[in-house]
Amino acid sequence: MTDPVFTRRRFMLGAAVTGTLMLARWPSRSAPAPAPVLSGTEFQLEIGPIPINITGRPVTGTGINGQIPAPILRWREGDTVTLAVTNRLSERSSIHWHGIRAPSPMDGVPGLSFAGIQPGETFVYRFPVRQNGSYWYHSHSGFQEQTGVYGPIVIVPKDGYAQAFDRDYVVMLSDWSNESPGTIVSNLKFQSDYYNFHQRTVGTFFDDAQRNGLADAVADRLQWGKMRMSPTDILDIGGAAYTYLLNGQPPGRNWTALFRSGERVRLRFINGSSMSIFDVRIDGLPMTVVQADGNDVIPVTVDEFRISVAETYDVIVRPTADRAYTIFAQVEDRTGYARGTLAPQAGMTATIPPMDPRPLRTMTDMGMGGMQPGSMSGMDHGAMSGMNHGSMPGVSGMGVSLEAKKLVGSVGVDNVAEVPTERLNRAGEGFPAGRRVLTYADLRATRPGRDARPTSRDITLHLTGNMERFIWGFDGKKFSEAEPIVLQRGERVRFVLINHSMMEHPIHLHGLWSELENGHGAYRPYKHTINVKPGEKLSYLVTADEPGRWAYHCHLLYHMDLGMFREVRVP
Amino acid sequence: MIVRLYRSLLMGLVPIAFSACASPEPAPAEQELAVPLGVDLGGSGPVAAPVARPQGEPGYSERVGQTQMAHAGANDAHGTGTVNSVDLARHKVEVTHAPIPEIGWPSMTMEFPVAPSVDLKEIKPGTRVNFTIEQQPGGMYEIKVITPAGGGR
Amino acid sequence: MSRQRKILCACGAVLGLAHAAAGQTPATPAQPTVPGEREFGQPVMDQGIFAHAILNQNEGRWNDTETEYRWEGQGWVGTDYDKLWIKSEGTVQSNGTVDDGQDQFLYSRAITTYFDLQGGLRSDIDSRPTRNWAALGIQGLAPYFFDLELTGYASGQGHLAAKLEASYDLLITNRLILQPQIEVDLYSKADPPRLVGAGFSSIDTGLRLRYEFSRKFAPYLGVVYEGKFGQTASYARRIAESTGDFRFAFGVRIWF
Repeated sequence: MTDPVFTRRRFMLGAAVTGTLMLARWPSRSAPAPAPVLSGTEFQLEIGPIPINITGRPVTGTGINGQIPAPILRWREGDTVTLAVTNRLSERSSIHWHGIRAPSPMDGVPGLSFAGIQPGETFVYRFPVRQNGSYWYHSHSGFQEQTGVYGPIVIVPKDGYAQAFDRDYVVMLSDWSNESPGTIVSNLKFQSDYYNFHQRTVGTFFDDAQRNGLADAVADRLQWGKMRMSPTDILDIGGAAYTYLLNGQPPGRNWTALFRSGERVRLRFINGSSMSIFDVRIDGLPMTVVQADGNDVIPVTVDEFRISVAETYDVIVRPTADRAYTIFAQVEDRTGYARGTLAPQAGMTATIPPMDPRPLRTMTDMGMGGMQPGSMSGMDHGAMSGMNHGSMPGVSGMGVSLEAKKLVGSVGVDNVAEVPTERLNRAGEGFPAGRRVLTYADLRATRPGRDARPTSRDITLHLTGNMERFIWGFDGKKFSEAEPIVLQRGERVRFVLINHSMMEHPIHLHGLWSELENGHGAYRPYKHTINVKPGEKLSYLVTADEPGRWAYHCHLLYHMDLGMFREVRVP
Repeated sequence: MIVRLYRSLLMGLVPIAFSACASPEPAPAEQELAVPLGVDLGGSGPVAAPVARPQGEPGYSERVGQTQMAHAGANDAHGTGTVNSVDLARHKVEVTHAPIPEIGWPSMTMEFPVAPSVDLKEIKPGTRVNFTIEQQPGGMYEIKVITPAGGGR
Repeated sequence: MSRQRKILCACGAVLGLAHAAAGQTPATPAQPTVPGEREFGQPVMDQGIFAHAILNQNEGRWNDTETEYRWEGQGWVGTDYDKLWIKSEGTVQSNGTVDDGQDQFLYSRAITTYFDLQGGLRSDIDSRPTRNWAALGIQGLAPYFFDLELTGYASGQGHLAAKLEASYDLLITNRLILQPQIEVDLYSKADPPRLVGAGFSSIDTGLRLRYEFSRKFAPYLGVVYEGKFGQTASYARRIAESTGDFRFAFGVRIWF
């Protein structure tokens, strides 16, 4: 049998050989400067105005060292880092190291930690780094985080990594709007559905009637109408205002991470956006989640995960084919996406998948239980999502607590969940069947927690809001109307959060770890930001081992700024 | 055998040829459209043995002698450096200074507010100076005393 | 009781009352201090003041007999709880006279999730004699998404009045919105110089179809009906004015 000259095997062999040569000889064939990495123990950071052009219209944003996102800070566990931050803006600024356990004066929250950095001033942060993993840093002043003051932190472990990998990339997701944040808030104050162009219409009514029957469709409309709520409220601000960025690049720019087939690639996903929750997947590549919020978890392989604002997930992927893969991060309301490419060579692209169908809020999200008339139409595919449709969501408590009842009808509260559900084993709405989606119940720490003491008390907080007036708070109150939450030094407490609103809230406690009670006992995961689903009730344990005035707030920037903020004080 | 290898290499050169012809060095206009590449932070190195210590790390206060911040009482630190510029209107100086071990600062160039009582007339750009800084409420350091270092008169 | 005892009792009583009073005043609990703590201002400013204004009706109205211009708008400035609110409406006839002019200056206080309590002054300012009223009412979003305003008025002369306004936004598409709207005025006593009769006086209602090019700028087409009833209608007939008119409307709904 003749040996044809042009066999596929030979071609691949040759291509592999020369491909390697190419990569070696032309390492940066098509690269304008990528975001630089700053390493070491001493850093000079300058916050200032930056010209930026995302949509074709040049505008002025704010950023660090002339770039958005800010440079990757690469620290080593065990080092003491010194960061001199100079403010070249014309308003007060600050930098908060998100998820980093630093002494309170170094935490960077103007009003709680320090006075902020005045224009022209330099503030020197200095603290020992005693943890490792992926984190991020951002301004805690005004809306500067929205206009570009955010960047990644990578802390190399002193004891080495728990899983091997060959390449390591930061994937920072964010949202950008040319509209000024002040205008965005003002618009929402007048018309809270200003940015929602996917509301239910006469057309969708007829579709629903056709699918579920006229009586059902009418009952459903009446049920939501009576509450003056809309099940299409997924995100306050979506693609109508935002362009979604991956490492500062809009989807069309095709940010690319290079790999060689067979290599293990670590991707550090950081959600550095202000208001956007992303559903991340790489078609053709399952992802093995190895760290959540900077802490090791028993590796769990999924097809997709939802990453809420300020969370981080480190995943390892192993592309075996010599082709490009699309890193696809669609926002929860399906009005846009961020996108990057994993490829053997720069310039390659893979298909960008269509966005999944838009989810709708359900009666479970409203905390009204699942068995309501008309809810059959509202029983969206979210209820059949993921691999966890075995157990019914745990119904907790005997209905509305007394303190929650008092909130009904007040100016800051538009809904009180009568039947909040414990459903950490559910991923949320909007995931088509057949994909493995990460849930909080999947996160199991690799080592048991440090503090095994029983808790001294439960601190229950109700996450509340009034969508119509666009007011957000805890227990129906804004920050300015509330007292600090005081913990004893060294106290072990349980925080119980009940989300009475119909939107997710990523709740972040500065300075102290939040140990999420997700059924794994002593192996509960250590997190800094916990996403509470609408109508959900969850709890986590905190050891108040660090004195200070710690900020505690929803990390949706406009919610935080409009009152969803508290001080947790440890004397 | 060599012939086979030779043929493989030849075939492997085909992609080079293609790419060499198809994509010459990008023209300046194309440069802007060039694909942004991620920075590879490197591999993991040898994998660690499982760590025995528990999750999380102890709070700062548990560690003895850890305080790097506000030393009880003495908020002062002393440094030397060179003045780059003096802003009499805002009463500030920009100084490039040597490391200040008392508060653990490395060598830096930065602007300091100066206490109102201090006379900045003698302080000119280029002067080598000794200075004392004190931490103010809010964390910022202010120059309390600043004098030309010997030989400056 | 001896005099000293009386004094003692009195002092004791005063002290007791003072103590009780002090005990009852909710003392702001002194917050335990944190090492290195000082006052640094506020981390978030959540008592922001916002200002907006909207022209809901900003339209030319015409039929084969008459053309007129109608405006109806509101504006407010304030915080989530307290606002200063202005409302204004009126119709300009083709001969330049202004009809049906009403301006309200109100203080608005958020009282429930969806409703504000409003009180202040209403001035009827147009080409007819001016009238002033005290106003008290509520405004907000009623169940099933009806926008509702219900206000009562009292004048210095002992006249009472009431106004009801309601509207609904029906989304045909996300940008094409059909809005039925109705405004009804009632008066307790007749006011002939203003051609207003006692009882159920007039109705101004319309069906407007707007297209939101942007949220803040939406041209619309509509059909409106201006009706007069009872005594008001008879006043109108006396001066040969019609008591019920359909008109086409074209305008732009704008807000900032």
